[in-house]
Amino acid sequence: MLGVGGWLLAVHPADWGGRWAGLAGYLRTSLMVLCALMVAAGAWQAGRERRRGMAELLGSTARPGWQPLVVAWLAVSLAGTAGLLAAFLGAAVLVGRVATYAGGGWWWTLAVGVLALYPAAAFGVLIGRLVPLRVVAPIAGLGTYLGLAILTYWDTSGVSWLSPVHPGSGPEWLPPAGTHALQAGWLLALTGTLLALAARLRRAALLLGILAVAVAVPIATGAGDDGLRTDPGAVEPTCTTEGPPVCVARINGFLLDDLAPLIQPVLHRVAGIPGAPTRAADAVLQGDGEPGGPADDTLWLHLGDQPTATGEGLANLGWLHADLRQIVTANCHQRLARPDERVWRTFDVAQAWLFEERPALDARVGQLYTLSLDEQRAWFAAFLDATHRCDVPRLIELGELR
Amino acid sequence: MRRREIGSSQRDVGTMTVSIEGLRVGYGRRVVLDDLDMELTVGVHGLLGPNGAGKTTLMRVLATVARPDRGRVRLLGHDIADQAALRRVRRQLGYLPQTFGYYPRFTVREFVEYFAWLKEMPRTRVPLAVERALDRVGLLDRADERMKHLSGGMLRRAGIAQAIVNDPRVILLDEPTAGLDPEQRVDFRELLRELGVDACVLVSTHLVEDIGTACGRVSLVEGGRLVFTGTPEELAGTGVDGGSGDSAIERGYTAVLRSARAARQ
Repeated sequence: MLGVGGWLLAVHPADWGGRWAGLAGYLRTSLMVLCALMVAAGAWQAGRERRRGMAELLGSTARPGWQPLVVAWLAVSLAGTAGLLAAFLGAAVLVGRVATYAGGGWWWTLAVGVLALYPAAAFGVLIGRLVPLRVVAPIAGLGTYLGLAILTYWDTSGVSWLSPVHPGSGPEWLPPAGTHALQAGWLLALTGTLLALAARLRRAALLLGILAVAVAVPIATGAGDDGLRTDPGAVEPTCTTEGPPVCVARINGFLLDDLAPLIQPVLHRVAGIPGAPTRAADAVLQGDGEPGGPADDTLWLHLGDQPTATGEGLANLGWLHADLRQIVTANCHQRLARPDERVWRTFDVAQAWLFEERPALDARVGQLYTLSLDEQRAWFAAFLDATHRCDVPRLIELGELR
Repeated sequence: MRRREIGSSQRDVGTMTVSIEGLRVGYGRRVVLDDLDMELTVGVHGLLGPNGAGKTTLMRVLATVARPDRGRVRLLGHDIADQAALRRVRRQLGYLPQTFGYYPRFTVREFVEYFAWLKEMPRTRVPLAVERALDRVGLLDRADERMKHLSGGMLRRAGIAQAIVNDPRVILLDEPTAGLDPEQRVDFRELLRELGVDACVLVSTHLVEDIGTACGRVSLVEGGRLVFTGTPEELAGTGVDGGSGDSAIERGYTAVLRSARAARQ
């Protein structure tokens, strides 16, 4: 669990870097793999007595069969918990250094996620007891992975929230009140049911099964992903105090110091040009009801994949440039009925001017730079006017630079 | 020879440590034990018989692992068919099967501790009881070695240690000396005599000399029935000069078997 947990953290640092809610949510996402491992471990452990030929000895002892079973299950569960927590504790140290928002009840997301390891191990124990084959452990693990993947990716209704992977996506989202308590109740009742079945305690299994169904019904009939709402504390704007304003959600506040030096020069270059953005803001701040496209005066930045594991620097500068290129294209390229190479060349010239690139490849960029700064800005203003209207003839004309 | 009281002047069935009446056990159509009666009290009892005679099945029934098809088995005054009493009986039972499994990564101490726990010993008594059991089988110096590193004889001794860790009143040992070297067998016989002072010890074995030196009573099973019960001297006395066997007790063993087979035919 420690190794796999560490590997999962290492491959997707952007999902959790710098954000407590991100780390808790990523733990829930990781459960798709970690629960599968716990199922395999539980199945292997349950088959151990049979593999070692201990039934004869154990059959003559006084202690009821469910007690050694529970001890074996608990040993697997606690070992898994220790491995998981050790891996995520390392990540928590990194997050704790830079995190700018600690609210949102992320610890409930985390705690219920850890709790999910226990029914997973119990399910493994049940399978291991029922099927007397060595291969049952890997097969049960693989089956669990596929089952959780199906619940996670093919279904967004309330039923999918019976999976411990949900609700794990989007650190700025909050599930409806009571969701964590219901999920905890469901996971506990499920654990008891599975263990009672494994120990062949039929009456206890029936009672716990009824309890599990009773808790599962409100989850399964709930709104599922549609019930997620924005965490107001997480999306409070945090802005630069000097220079052109760059704002991020509070939960992404740790990115601001690395972001501002890259964004502000661009905003400064287009300052005062009609149609150019006057500020840049985290797309998370758009809110639920506002359109997702670029507004006239705001350049929206998509920062979900920018955090690094240490929370220092930006993970995907290329994607940040893609956001900045929105100033140039203004989605016009998506509105073109037919791609026109000449329009694209105009976009290239405008982008080179915006980023103050040297005119190495395109002579027309050099030609633009021969104009006075006021003339360059006038050309860019005309360009923005054309691109916002997606006026193809005008864009082609501007690209000729005559 | 259908029913015999063994070993004690006290003949009241209620005081017998082990009491078997009309026991029948079969696997499918094959009857392994048929209408077997036996009573055992405190002391060391040897159980002899050829391969397939039903010794191991009898041990398994007494260990409450196998269920009888018919008949009544009472251990320590409780009928083992009584589920409520079974747990109490098992707390006072020690069992070493002919072959037994173990967790290879457990140390010897952990293995014996685990069985002390399974036998529901009071927690405070466990550490001392484990030390004592390991000392009695001569494994105290190997207590912290992993089971997977033990030789066959040492594994057998670890198995005996788990069987006696709870100071049981009924001890069932199926081929306990298999794999032990001659010196260890001598020590083991001494241990048997010690255990037999206040417990009923039933030892199933093919080694007739173990019976002669360690057991106060001996029972012989053939074809699923009890065909002899008596002292080792009485068994030796049934032999005839010039019969099969290197010792008097072996000759007695052979003579009883042949007589039982002849009677059956």
